[in-house]
Amino acid sequence: MLDLSSTSPIFSQLNALVGGLFLLSAFGLVIVRQAQACLLIFIIQSILLSISAFLLGYRDASYHLLAVGVLTLVIKPALIPWLLRRTVRQEIYTYREISQVLNIPSSLLIALALTLFSYFFANSLLIIVDGSFAKVNLPIGIAGLLLGAYTLMVRREAIPQLIGILAMENGAFFAGISISPDLPLIAELAAAFDVLIIALVMGILTRTIHENIGTTRVGALTTLKEEPNQ
Amino acid sequence: MTDRILFNLIQVLVVMVFAPLTKGVLNRLIEQVQSKRGPSIFQPYRDIWKLFHKDEVVPEQSSWIFRFTPYIVFITPIFVALLIPVLTAYPLFFAFMGDMLGGGFILALGGFFATLAAVDTSNPYGPMGASRTRMVGFLAEPVFMIVFFTVSFVAGSTIPYIVQKQWVTPLTNFFEPSHVLLMIAFMMLILAEAGRIPVDNPSGHFELAMIDESKGLEYSGRGAALMKWGGSMKFFVLICIFLNVLVTPWGLAGKQVLWEVLISIPLILLKVFVLLLFIVVIESSLAKLRLFRISEFMGAAFITSVAAMIAQLFTT
Amino acid sequence: MILIVILVIPLIAAGLSLIPLGRRFAPAVTLIGAMAVLIASLSVALRVASGNRVVMIENWMSCDGLSALVLLLIALVGVTAALFSWGYVEKINHGNGHEKLRYYYTNYNLFLLSLLAVPLFVELALVWIAVELTTLLSVLLVGFENTREALEAAWKYIVLTLMGAAIALLGFLILFWGLRASGGSIYTWDGLIAAAPNMPPVLLQTAFLLILVGFGAKAGLVPLHTWLPDAHSQAPSPVCALLSGVETTAVLYAILRMIPILNAVPSLRAGTWAVVFGLISVGVAAFLLLQVRDYKRLFAYSTVEHMGIILVATGLDSSAAHYGAVYQILSHAITKSFCFFAAGAVLLAVGTREITSVQGLIRTSPTAGVALLFGGLAISGAPPFAVFLSEFSILKAGLSNSQYIAVGLLALFIVIAFFGIMLHINQMVFGQPNVIPEGVNLPTSCVIALILSVIPIVVFGLYVPGPLHELLHLAANCLER
Repeated sequence: MLDLSSTSPIFSQLNALVGGLFLLSAFGLVIVRQAQACLLIFIIQSILLSISAFLLGYRDASYHLLAVGVLTLVIKPALIPWLLRRTVRQEIYTYREISQVLNIPSSLLIALALTLFSYFFANSLLIIVDGSFAKVNLPIGIAGLLLGAYTLMVRREAIPQLIGILAMENGAFFAGISISPDLPLIAELAAAFDVLIIALVMGILTRTIHENIGTTRVGALTTLKEEPNQ
Repeated sequence: MTDRILFNLIQVLVVMVFAPLTKGVLNRLIEQVQSKRGPSIFQPYRDIWKLFHKDEVVPEQSSWIFRFTPYIVFITPIFVALLIPVLTAYPLFFAFMGDMLGGGFILALGGFFATLAAVDTSNPYGPMGASRTRMVGFLAEPVFMIVFFTVSFVAGSTIPYIVQKQWVTPLTNFFEPSHVLLMIAFMMLILAEAGRIPVDNPSGHFELAMIDESKGLEYSGRGAALMKWGGSMKFFVLICIFLNVLVTPWGLAGKQVLWEVLISIPLILLKVFVLLLFIVVIESSLAKLRLFRISEFMGAAFITSVAAMIAQLFTT
Repeated sequence: MILIVILVIPLIAAGLSLIPLGRRFAPAVTLIGAMAVLIASLSVALRVASGNRVVMIENWMSCDGLSALVLLLIALVGVTAALFSWGYVEKINHGNGHEKLRYYYTNYNLFLLSLLAVPLFVELALVWIAVELTTLLSVLLVGFENTREALEAAWKYIVLTLMGAAIALLGFLILFWGLRASGGSIYTWDGLIAAAPNMPPVLLQTAFLLILVGFGAKAGLVPLHTWLPDAHSQAPSPVCALLSGVETTAVLYAILRMIPILNAVPSLRAGTWAVVFGLISVGVAAFLLLQVRDYKRLFAYSTVEHMGIILVATGLDSSAAHYGAVYQILSHAITKSFCFFAAGAVLLAVGTREITSVQGLIRTSPTAGVALLFGGLAISGAPPFAVFLSEFSILKAGLSNSQYIAVGLLALFIVIAFFGIMLHINQMVFGQPNVIPEGVNLPTSCVIALILSVIPIVVFGLYVPGPLHELLHLAANCLER
């Protein structure tokens, strides 16, 4: 592989751009109402993740990361939506979420607070151990994780919650490709298949819920409690 | 020094003369995309000319604000045009009179008076539109501020001429995440402030749904001409700030030579034309947002700009 | 070699269960597979107890004291649950056809496989993947009955646990980062213990907290435990036994393995974190036990309590406390599975999950009543059952180390939980029956499973055989370092 350290500013800049767009897509998950749009944003986020992996892999001449990029590109933007389409019926995608737990502008402010928090958090880690790409990837990855968790908590429909989980893993991996690039390849492979199984299982569960309960508004299922009047 | 004053005047003239052309081209392009033929691109000039020759009818209950506002709406973009880079890459004579914040406030002044005038009439649709305009306006103000703050923080100054150099030297700075996010946020801001889709329908005639158009509802004759002209000048000025400070600060005159300044006029028009194409694509592919969702739209713009600020603060 | 065999057997059983060869084929295959796994695990445990680590692939798949113990427990509960499933699932599957039955057993085998993988892998990334798989492969089992509540429980289960797993993933990645930064390259439990003194402490601490919170959600530690009562009560009883008895234990195993790594840097005070988190879980569970309305949720809250106890015991930094912790792991696994079998028997007998609807069980269905009574007594820590011995040893170890506050709180919570459980069980078992006895017969396999699972509880409450004692000592040593 060529030694590209002389041109590395371009890679850092491009990686920073990819990171910025990744952050934007994580915000997008909080904003959109339609399940279909959620899926689209997830696809975009996964493509950005693989681009970042390619950039890092190309710059560090690591076949490992390039393999990770290819794996991500094959599985997340392509196989997972296909799998979800097969297991979850098409009409579920047309559901629009009219009301979330918090209204969208408040959600956006909380999302902003979470991003600030993740930047501070990452800074406290980066002071000790330095990494060249980690400066960009680590805070944005943690932000992606937190925003995915927030989407999970705030949405009531099944598909956005599902996408929230997948987005959390995206965020963790986005941080991971910069801080632990040489994780054994077996682990990466297994993690990729694990994501597939997540999509499969949750898709089947969503369909079962839809068939048996009639709606996928899983946030409204709150019958299991300790209160006296059940 | 007289050169600099001359170039400043040329700059103002360019803004005054070519603003209606911008509106005309935009309208025609939108219509053509919809497979219609569209009005001539010089139609706004004819409209303004016609309106200047008509009598003015003024509501009896209105006060001096109503009569004064068209002049204010006409003059404030001209003031701002003095401050921003339109034709030249170096500061002109009046450039240090106010910085970007000052420019933003002056534009807001025009909007403020337009809103007051709309309330001043006794037409019920006026205040309705005015309150909606204010809603969009106050949601847009934080975005303005954050964009300006971030840009100034990066460049170390709030004068637009100095800021514009920041993003092009070296070229890789163009792709910085904060820059890209700022561009996106400011684009959303322009769409909101100029009353384009997805915030407002500029070609709608239905008063109940008007946001920005309502400011010109009651005017006739000279007042209407000035409001129209002033509105298109504000749009042109916003586009110039966007293009010359954030996106493509190239093609501006480098030396204090008259010939270079004259050459930069068609260049700026070309850049504006490309942006208009982009706006046409947006207008033709999106639908107008429902009123309560405008706050989500502006919230998204705000978040984008703050994300740009965070990205800038934490990666330097 | 034998470790691979342990993993391959359930896989084959899962595949064979799909073959439609009559009603009894799938359960039989599952049971035989589980028994084979048990035999293999026993041999592994015996080999480890005699002092040799069983190694399949160095640094990827091996078995030391603690993992052998957990492996053995998983295999044991796997057998008893498979036996219990034989009769139970047929009863609750009425009218749904044989295909669903086969899917149950396939799913069961795959779930068992993922559970077995957790202690066997030593490469941390693979451990995370195995823990994820335990969630994914058990979700559809939790929602097996397709009722509204079961599906709600399944959804909450998968969402909360996957969220925790993603947080833990970040923790593992940061841990790897720290390992690389210190120059080490072996990403296993032992490798990390060796490299821990050189790793930047802030990374270690962050990773530990992330893993504690993330996997804690899956192990049922407060405050992310809210899915546990739902999932562990709505699932079919044999699945509950697996979930409560061994799955939470397997995840807790992963958390417990982190503590010796952090203990290599004493300033990080991992022990204190563990004690605090553990006490919170025990306390909240004990109080929530008092107002529960569903007897399976009762046992689920008891699981939360016991997970907390184990965590506290590991945090109390002495070898006696560690011995108590691993003994608690053992006693909890066997006792909790028995409790859920008893609960399943009760459900079959009376058909309702509510405590207030059940009275005089000892008259309506003696087997179920006696089993429930035994189960309640055993899990709340009454002598002469195993849990009493383990809790007692933990308290004694804490006292002799003069950690009075922790021990005092622990004892208080255990007593509260004892009263809570016994109150409810008493109400159910004794008194005038309000359900007219229909002569419901428990399936024989269920009864056999009940008897088989009660034996270890009583035996280990009185006497610990030699090899087991060795194994427990080795396991406690793993927590030590």
